[in-house]
Order: sequence, then structure tokens, then C-alpha cells
Amino acid sequence: MNDVIGIVNFHSSPEIPQLTDSRPLGSTSFLGRYACCDFAMSNITNSGISTMGILVKDHQRSILKHLGSMDAWTTNTKIGQQIIMYNEPGHLYPSSNTDINNIKENDWVLYDSSASYIVVVPAHVITNIDLRPIIKEHIQRKEKITVVATKVKNAEDEFLTSKVLSVDKNGYVQEAIENVGIAGEAIVSMEMYVINRTVLADMIHRYARRNLTLDLKTLIYIVTREDGFKAHVYMYDGYARCIDSFKHYMDYSFELFSKDISKQLFKKDWPIYTLTHDTPPALYGKDAKVSNSFISNGSLIEGTVINSIIARNVKVAKGAVVKDSIVFSSTMIGDKAHIENALIDKYSIITRSHIVSGDKNEPHYVAQGSII
Amino acid sequence: MGIKIAAMILAGGKGTRLKALTRKTAKPAVSYGAKYRIIDFPLSNCANSNINHVGVLTQYESSDLNSYIGNGKNWGLNGVNSLTAVLTPKQTEEGSSWYKGTADAIYQNIDWLDSIAPEYVLILSGDHIYSTTYDEMLKLHEEKKADCTISVIEVPIEEASRFGILETDNESNITAFKEKPKVPKSNLASMGIYIFNYKILRSMLVEDAKNENSDHDFGKNIIPTMLEKGKKLVAYTFKGYWKDVGTISSLHQANMDLLLSGDPSINLFSVQANQRIYSEDTHATPQYIGSKAVVKDCLINQGATILGEVDHCVISSQVEVEEGAKVVNSVLMQGVSIKKGAVVENAIIGPNSEVEENEQLNVGNKDIALYARG
Repeated sequence: MNDVIGIVNFHSSPEIPQLTDSRPLGSTSFLGRYACCDFAMSNITNSGISTMGILVKDHQRSILKHLGSMDAWTTNTKIGQQIIMYNEPGHLYPSSNTDINNIKENDWVLYDSSASYIVVVPAHVITNIDLRPIIKEHIQRKEKITVVATKVKNAEDEFLTSKVLSVDKNGYVQEAIENVGIAGEAIVSMEMYVINRTVLADMIHRYARRNLTLDLKTLIYIVTREDGFKAHVYMYDGYARCIDSFKHYMDYSFELFSKDISKQLFKKDWPIYTLTHDTPPALYGKDAKVSNSFISNGSLIEGTVINSIIARNVKVAKGAVVKDSIVFSSTMIGDKAHIENALIDKYSIITRSHIVSGDKNEPHYVAQGSII
Repeated sequence: MGIKIAAMILAGGKGTRLKALTRKTAKPAVSYGAKYRIIDFPLSNCANSNINHVGVLTQYESSDLNSYIGNGKNWGLNGVNSLTAVLTPKQTEEGSSWYKGTADAIYQNIDWLDSIAPEYVLILSGDHIYSTTYDEMLKLHEEKKADCTISVIEVPIEEASRFGILETDNESNITAFKEKPKVPKSNLASMGIYIFNYKILRSMLVEDAKNENSDHDFGKNIIPTMLEKGKKLVAYTFKGYWKDVGTISSLHQANMDLLLSGDPSINLFSVQANQRIYSEDTHATPQYIGSKAVVKDCLINQGATILGEVDHCVISSQVEVEEGAKVVNSVLMQGVSIKKGAVVENAIIGPNSEVEENEQLNVGNKDIALYARG
């Protein structure tokens, strides 16, 4: 689809103190093998959209290291464009480092394009959504703005950083309020939008100058209120998880042990692409005991791993136990060390016989590069 | 201006003794080590040696192999000042013919070599498993001002009659070469890896092509002729892991060598950046090991799902071992499915094959069996 620009939005991701100290949530490891943004990027590519922009908020080193030239997510490297969008003034004024100002700063993307539609996809929502039917419906209904939303069982516990929507009988947003933990069933925005390019350009032109702290999530509902624009709601009922807290990050990772859930996210005809690391397959020793776990390539398992996720190049030594935990890449778990209910971040070393243990409801976090 | 060195990888062979595994696949494209294909090894060795001009000569079942090699991207051989070319037999003004032998394959691509004008040409085999750089061999070739350097490996003298055997003086100069001698006088076996000065190689190939009685083979014709003519041939002694897997049982053994309990001289987990082996990456999920699974002494690639018991196995992507199934001392190639209650021992299961519920495969038989049903 050369008539559409796909934009991966890193601005809309929440800060999670444990995980986003040195990287955005979008480039944080997920399930050992992926970065969270791989899902957004693969959805854009699998939907046949050939121009992809990345709205970088901060920590560009981490993002650029993962993305490279973006070949790994590109179908044809000559068709369409891959654009890294970075808001330089936003670096000096953090409160104005918003997605709207980033697009404004890089507005040649809007003007120097014949595309009619912009699709914005958040980097922190784990989903395998096909964007084509959404765009098709947007075009058929001649909408200006479409908001992709999903129904949750309890908004107190899901999509905590998104808007809760009320929808009128014609399928338009009636009201959008911040989800501050609203109990009960609700329709929540997935912070995914289809907007006509000219409409977005006009919104930015008229509002971004007046208020420097506006973000897309707010502006969309301002224009529906002030300008009489209507925001059409597209209801998505497939797998979608919004990483909005450390606990949820752990929960959404672990729930994929269940075949019933993982088959909703991983489908044969909808591959999730990621950067290749040329790591060898995982190697298991004679005394390895592994159950109910995801193990990534490059790992060397000689100890015990139960209900856990092991990323690339992790060594679990003889006698070590990793239970109900996530271990990020290039980490070494020493002899007889015991890890339980914890997340061990990259490049850490847990030395011989040490115990790292957290609570089921409050997993312990070990920072990147720790030596314990 | 030419370049210093180009590699030519001979990848046209069928590998008849690998039976069904090479019915639809060239031997260099056969799956190995859970993630790799055999040809990843010589290609990665070239990349790790900064040899950036590589010709891959394919012939038997070449389409799959050709598309796998592509522009050399998987091995980083597609950058500036690098070139990967798949060289298949072609139609020319003089007519067309298949590659008649290893030397003829290079001869038919003399124009391509002329166009990149290398000072040296490294001849490699696409079906050998070893991880090395060719730096030291090239250094020796230059120091000795040799016309040709042959990489040799010491083999047990009782096995020497299976190989091409070289005799050398104490300066490593090659004094004699015999293909499969009945009474070997040395234990230095040729690995089929040669560095030639291109000018000399070129003239030897042109001369050999005119000889109707020649088999157009490096070992049988080119090397003996060069010795006769008094050219300077030097032996480079290779130390380390090297396998030319010809049979099902040697392919099985080479896979098992990669395990922790295997041969420590081949290590895919080398920390040295220039010894990594590169390969195609599959878009697979991480491997999942189930609640009731038992995994011991195995090498397992991403995308595999292990719910049963696997012991001393090498397991590729998209393999599924169901609950209650048991696989021992076996190689499961990509897409293999082992159903509930099945037992497999001492086997290689070919790509996309299915072992049915409660089926017993090769149980109790020590000889390595091949099952290819995909």
C-alpha cells in the first residue's frame, strides 16, 4: 500500500522505572527474542505498507541499534521509505517532547508525500493486528479519523495508560477519558489511529503552535470537541496487550506459555520479524532440567529453568535454578545461584550460590550490568 | 586493478551416500547443527577471513541452493567491495556443457575470474564442516612464494588409503601426491582446499581443458601435472576440527560433535567475533520447552516445541516433539513432527517428516537410520 504511511510511535509508551532507565519500552526485550516494537513494525510490513516512520522520543542509541537500516522489517528496500523521526528541540524541553511536535519537526514527511493516510501504531502494544481492514473501512466510510479500540473485561487492570472511550450509536467517539483505573468492562483506545494526511497536517498546523505540550492522544479528542470532527471507532477483538506496568510486562510474557494464548499472537501467515544476531542454537547440558520455558538461541543451559524466559546468550550454570523469572540477554547465572520471581536485566552476573528472590506479585528487578 | 584473493566454492556435488537427504537437495545445502546448512561453514570462513569476493559453483539441484546463497547477505558478503556470485553451468558461443570435474568448473568461469582479476584464488569445497580463517594459510603461501598451497590434515595412517595423500620434505614442500594410495607413505591428507596464484592456475586450467584424457579434477590432474612440471607446491597443516561428511552416520556424528558431550574442538559458542558461523535467520518464535518435557544434552534451534523427552539430540526449527514421545541420539531436521508416544533412537529424521503416534523407529538398533518422509 503506497497510499499509506505507517508510523511507529515511541512517544505514547509509558515509562516503567525498572525497564526504561536506559531504553524506551519499544526497544525493550520481549519473550527473549523480540523487542516490543517488532510487533508494531511487523504489523505495518505484513499489512503491505511500504513507508514506515519511527517516532523516536529518547534513547535513540537503543532504538537505532535494534533497527539498523530497518531492512529486517522491509519487504522491498527500494519501494517506500524507512524514516527515523527525531524531535531535536524536544530534547531540550522534555515537556514538549511529544509525538505531535516530533511530527511537526519532521513535517516534510507529511508534505513531501503523495500518501493519503497515516497509520499510527504504538510501540508498546503487543498485538498482531492486520491494518488492512481498518484502513479499508476508514476509506469506505470516508472518515477523517479512525481510532482503533478494544473491549477489556476490567479497565482497572488493562490499558492503564490509554483513554477509555464512550461510543455513540453511529460508532463515533462520544467521550474520551483518561483511564485512571476505571473498574469494570470498558472500551479502551489502543492508541492506534488512521488519519487522513491532510487532516493531520491541518491539526498540527492549527494546534501545535498554540500548545507545545499537546500529544496525539489528547489532540484527537480536542479536534472532535472543538472542530466538530468525528472520530470513528474501529473495534478490534484479537489479541492485544498494553505494557503499562512492570507487573503486567511479566504477566503478559508468562501468559504466552499457554498454547491457547500464544497461538492467538503467533500465526503462521503473520510472521513477527526481528533483528538477526547470528547466535548458535541453544545448548543444553546433561544435567539440565527445563520445563515450561522459552529459551532463546545462544543460551547455554546446564542448570534448572522452570516457568521462565531466557533471552539470548544467557548462561545458566550447573546447579543454578531460575524459576518464575525473566533473564535478559548476555547474563550469567553462576553455580548454585537461585533466581525466583525476578527479572535480571542485560549484562548481569549473578555469582555462585547467590539468591535473588522477589514476590509473586512484586517481582524483584536486577538492573542492567549488575554483579551480585 | 585487481583484488588480492577470491574464493571459489565447489558446491555442485550430489552427495549420493546421503541418500534421500540429497534426493532434492544439493549436499552443501543439507541441514546441519539445528540451524545451519553445511555451506554456511565455508562461506562464514570466507567472511571471517575478509575474503569478500566469492564465487559459488552449483550444479546438482541448484535452484534451492542458488536462492539460499543469493547476494551473500546472510554472510555479510554483499557490502561495498564485495561480491557473491552463484556460478552455474551456462550456454556460451562454444556451446554448453555441465561441469565435468572440479577443475573444469573453475575453467568454465575463467571469464568471471578474469573480470575480478585476483592475485590468488582459494578453492574450497562447499560440503566441509570446519570453522577457521584462511589467514595463516595465505601467509604461508606468500612467505614460501608458492605456486600452490594445499591444506592438509593428519589422519591415522591406517585410514590414509581413503584420502589423497601428500608427501613433503622438511620444508613443507610437496614432493609427491597420490590419490588413495594402497600403501600410504605419509599421513598428510589433502583437504581439497587450495590457494593458487591465479596466473598459474589459469594457464594450468587452459592446458587441462585441451587434454581429452583428463578427468578435469584438481586431485587427479591439476596437482600431479604441476608436480611433474616442477612447480612449487607447499603443504599447510591444518589443526582443528574438520569433517567431510559423506555418509548418514558421519553426518549424524558431526551433529553430535556439537553437543556439550561432543567434540570440544568444534565450538559454535566461540567468543571470538571472527569465528562465528552465519546463516539464514528464520522468523520463528523462541523455542518452547513444555511442563512435562525432559531435555538433556541437546542443541535446539528457535521455533522448536519440545513437550516430550529428548536426550542427546540436535533439533532444528519448527520441530514438534509431542508429550509422551521420546527421542534419543537423533537429529531432527526442520519441520519434523514426532507424535505422542512415538520412540526414535539413533536416527536422522529428514526435513518435514512425521513420525506417527506410538511408532517405534530404529529402537534398539545401534546403526544410524535415515527417515525422510517429507
